[in-house]
Amino acid sequence: MKKGVMRPGHVQIRVLDMDEALKHYVDLLGLIEMDRDDQGRVYLKGWTEVDKFSVVLREADQAGMDFMGFKCLDEDVLDNLHQDLKAFGCEVEEVPEGELKDCGRRLRFVAPSGHAFELYATKKQTGKWGLSNRNPEAWPRGLQGMKATRFDHCLLYGVDLDKTLELFRDVLGFDLAEQVLTPDGKRVAQFLTASMKAHDIAFIDHPEPGMFHHASFFLDTWEDVLRAADLISMTDTSIDIGPTRHGLTHGKTIYFFDPSGNRTEVFCGGDYHYPDHEPVTWDADELGKAIFYHDRQLNERFLTALT
Amino acid sequence: MNNNNHTCLEQETVTEHLITLNATEQDGFRAKSDVSVLVAMERAGQHLIPVGCRGGGCGKCRIHVLQGEYFSKRMSRAWISPEQESAGTVLACRIFARGDLVIEPDPPEIRPQSQTK
Repeated sequence: MKKGVMRPGHVQIRVLDMDEALKHYVDLLGLIEMDRDDQGRVYLKGWTEVDKFSVVLREADQAGMDFMGFKCLDEDVLDNLHQDLKAFGCEVEEVPEGELKDCGRRLRFVAPSGHAFELYATKKQTGKWGLSNRNPEAWPRGLQGMKATRFDHCLLYGVDLDKTLELFRDVLGFDLAEQVLTPDGKRVAQFLTASMKAHDIAFIDHPEPGMFHHASFFLDTWEDVLRAADLISMTDTSIDIGPTRHGLTHGKTIYFFDPSGNRTEVFCGGDYHYPDHEPVTWDADELGKAIFYHDRQLNERFLTALT
Repeated sequence: MNNNNHTCLEQETVTEHLITLNATEQDGFRAKSDVSVLVAMERAGQHLIPVGCRGGGCGKCRIHVLQGEYFSKRMSRAWISPEQESAGTVLACRIFARGDLVIEPDPPEIRPQSQTK
């Protein structure tokens, strides 16, 4: 049942060198630089996103994800979810308005998987980049690289998938859209949605808590994914795998790494999910095909290179 | 932040060095000074060191450098402590040979429930 959580709103990613990172996220991926703050963090977004930013980069001495934030319908939802999170057993930290520029108060908590998440309801809306909201043209000129349209989801590796599902489903109102089950019924992957998308957040079972697999960005077409692959080669960017298709969600995809080793995905297509749909299930013995629909075998790096 | 990343690798004269594995009969590979030791190995078509992100983040390509000079860029403290780095334990994707190197792969183990962040 929906609880007022709307969508992935932002992700804060740690990078080892900001200038190198901006070449990746702005020049190559095509995000727009929107702002910087006095901590040196840089705020970015995809051009179709209405809110001011969705990706925050922070220079640090370790790669990985600081937190992922979900935008909620309004401030009343936040107050309700604050109580529900506490009742579930989460410690909730209230991050004051303005800690991220032009963003309202955020409720921060750590999921059983070991990842930090945030809920917020207020962020400055600057509109789609380069377009008016009145009689808008199809797309703005001046986009760079892969012209990523929006931040779409994250895939995270961590512990205690069952308790994490309980939190996201029962407290935050997500649905289980897709899963991978072992022959004895253990869920080793779960794709969760707060919308019609096949995933807004996904988790893979892994013995280390709090690990980051990738942040994903949406492209419109398969041709755009192919063009992204061309750009990856042109720029000698570290590639993981693709272009290919996933069995899970059926998205068409390519994976590559930022200069600090954080994985980026761009993809198009993918299945949809309504709240009355049963979860789609892949059997773990078909995992090769579930992950890479064409190769039908796993790539060690895709499974184990994490930040 | 001083992270060595702004040193202009391009301005140096490119030199070429031999990278060999300690205590093996294997051939090793040649590495130019302007590409990382890991990428040089990939270009040589060899598989002596596990390849991960190639960006200093995931730790897969951790090695010990037993002999030889190299230049290193910043690598994630999740995998390499300052003490390890100064003792020659590094990520092969973040070091650039400045002389012939003798190395030993040391891929990190998975660390259940450890909180290193």
